[in-house]
Amino acid sequence: MGRLLHIEWMKLKNYRAFWILLCLYIATIFGANFIIFRIQQQIYSKEQAKGMASLILGNPPYSFPSVWQATAHVSSYLLFIPGLIMIIAVTNEYSFKTHRQNIIDGLTRRQFIGAKIMMAALLSVVSVIVVAITALVFGFMDGSNSFSLEGFYYIGYSFLQAMSYTMVALLMAVLFKRGGLAIGVFFSYALVLEELLVLFMNKYLHYAGRFMPLETTDILVPFPRIKEIVNKLTSTPPDYNVMFIIALVYLAAYLFLVTRKFETDNL
Amino acid sequence: MAILTVDNLHKNYGPVNALKGVSFTVPRGSVFGILGPNGSGKTTLLGIIMDILKPTAGSYKLFDETPTHLHRSQIGTLLETPNFYHYLNAVQNLKIAAAIKQRGTEDIDRVLQMVNLEQRKFSKFTTYSLGMKQRLAIASSLLGNPEVLVFDEPTNGLDPVGIVETRELIKKLNKEGKTIIMASHLLDEVEKVCTHVAILQKGTLITHGHVDEILVTEDVVEAGAANVQQLLAALHKYPGALQVKLNEHHVELSFAPGTAMLDSLNRFCFENGIALNHLRLRKKSLETKFFELTNGK
Repeated sequence: MGRLLHIEWMKLKNYRAFWILLCLYIATIFGANFIIFRIQQQIYSKEQAKGMASLILGNPPYSFPSVWQATAHVSSYLLFIPGLIMIIAVTNEYSFKTHRQNIIDGLTRRQFIGAKIMMAALLSVVSVIVVAITALVFGFMDGSNSFSLEGFYYIGYSFLQAMSYTMVALLMAVLFKRGGLAIGVFFSYALVLEELLVLFMNKYLHYAGRFMPLETTDILVPFPRIKEIVNKLTSTPPDYNVMFIIALVYLAAYLFLVTRKFETDNL
Repeated sequence: MAILTVDNLHKNYGPVNALKGVSFTVPRGSVFGILGPNGSGKTTLLGIIMDILKPTAGSYKLFDETPTHLHRSQIGTLLETPNFYHYLNAVQNLKIAAAIKQRGTEDIDRVLQMVNLEQRKFSKFTTYSLGMKQRLAIASSLLGNPEVLVFDEPTNGLDPVGIVETRELIKKLNKEGKTIIMASHLLDEVEKVCTHVAILQKGTLITHGHVDEILVTEDVVEAGAANVQQLLAALHKYPGALQVKLNEHHVELSFAPGTAMLDSLNRFCFENGIALNHLRLRKKSLETKFFELTNGK
């Protein structure tokens, strides 16, 4: 396993696009949260607005303990970037035909695709660490409450969500093999198409939209307090334990599909 | 011990039958040529052996064992095109190959020297010419000094000097006791380098065996003179010719392999009062050879 990761590391460490995208990802996580944080500060600094916001949201979202959840939610809109990194790293192999050469030189097909799955997991770990540090920083910047680890489990959910996005990206890369096509399909699905499907299915198919692949993990990381409010307005609120299990089932399915596809394909 | 045993391999791409029941054995220490025109199934065959293509039916063995990735890592392979990370230089690319093959990196300078690439070893792969890319692929296959090498069209994209160097390298490697499996569409190349040959055409193995037995090509001599009809009449009496015929502007004579003597033919014509204006010993082309082999079956 260490050898496989070392090989992946040799492929990536001199790849400039990887580092640029990774830095952009980290910067935009911080930046996006900073924007929402500033809006929060402006609202809570005006007496009247503060009253309204407190009524709906309670304590400022970026104060402990809800800061873990708020940061995880806001950062989740940027998960398409690690997805993009994943797609580029894998489709590069197809276009350079190095996926063939790696097998010819003595990797098994399972080792090759296993290394990519480990890369998806590592990207998700990096993502979660950055989100956790960002949350910590904003929690202290807000300063209205003292440090608390209550609600830290949302950071755990955000790992599941990151895994879900990177694994869907990997699936697209393995299915389509061409970078442009995989990126196009992944972006339009993750950013628009699934949202549309979720809307329609929730409206006409008795909330079946909740069980769409990315929605299962998105639903686990809502903005603080909004979940409670929305759930009060809907007749059948989702069962979060069920959603958690379904998210795991989806992950297992991606794992199976990606491995199976790569192991049986003509490369 | 056989290095490679192929048993009744079939491969279909949808309705196209790329391989139709191919079987042969590659003995240790041979230079085994797989000869065939474009699209005859050479690369498909090697692709199956390297596990990047799945056979429709049939099986193969490496070193008399059921093949695994460990067997592949003991074989240096160049298949179809040089496949490297475009944004990395030669050394970085070879480090990855060495890590996959579980070989040390200390061999990198040696193999780059063998293919004359050491001066450009820190240039990115994208900046390489086609010939340099091919050289790097050969270098990569030599990493760790493997006992068996598989080369698919090894002289592809090389200049004349590069072609000669590569052929010499293959012969040298074989002298060191290595087994080399080489696919080529160049009859001339296989004749010059190989000890054994298997001939593929449209996915069917036409014949295989020792080069001396399979590629016995008659010597063909072209002769021309101002009066071709007179030349033809005279040459019909030339001793030793298997066949004499008129071919467009020249008279063509066939001889048993190695028996055509241009000087004595020239003297014969001169003594019969004919001055030649054209005299050439010609090798049969791959196409002609195929035509003969397939018609003979």
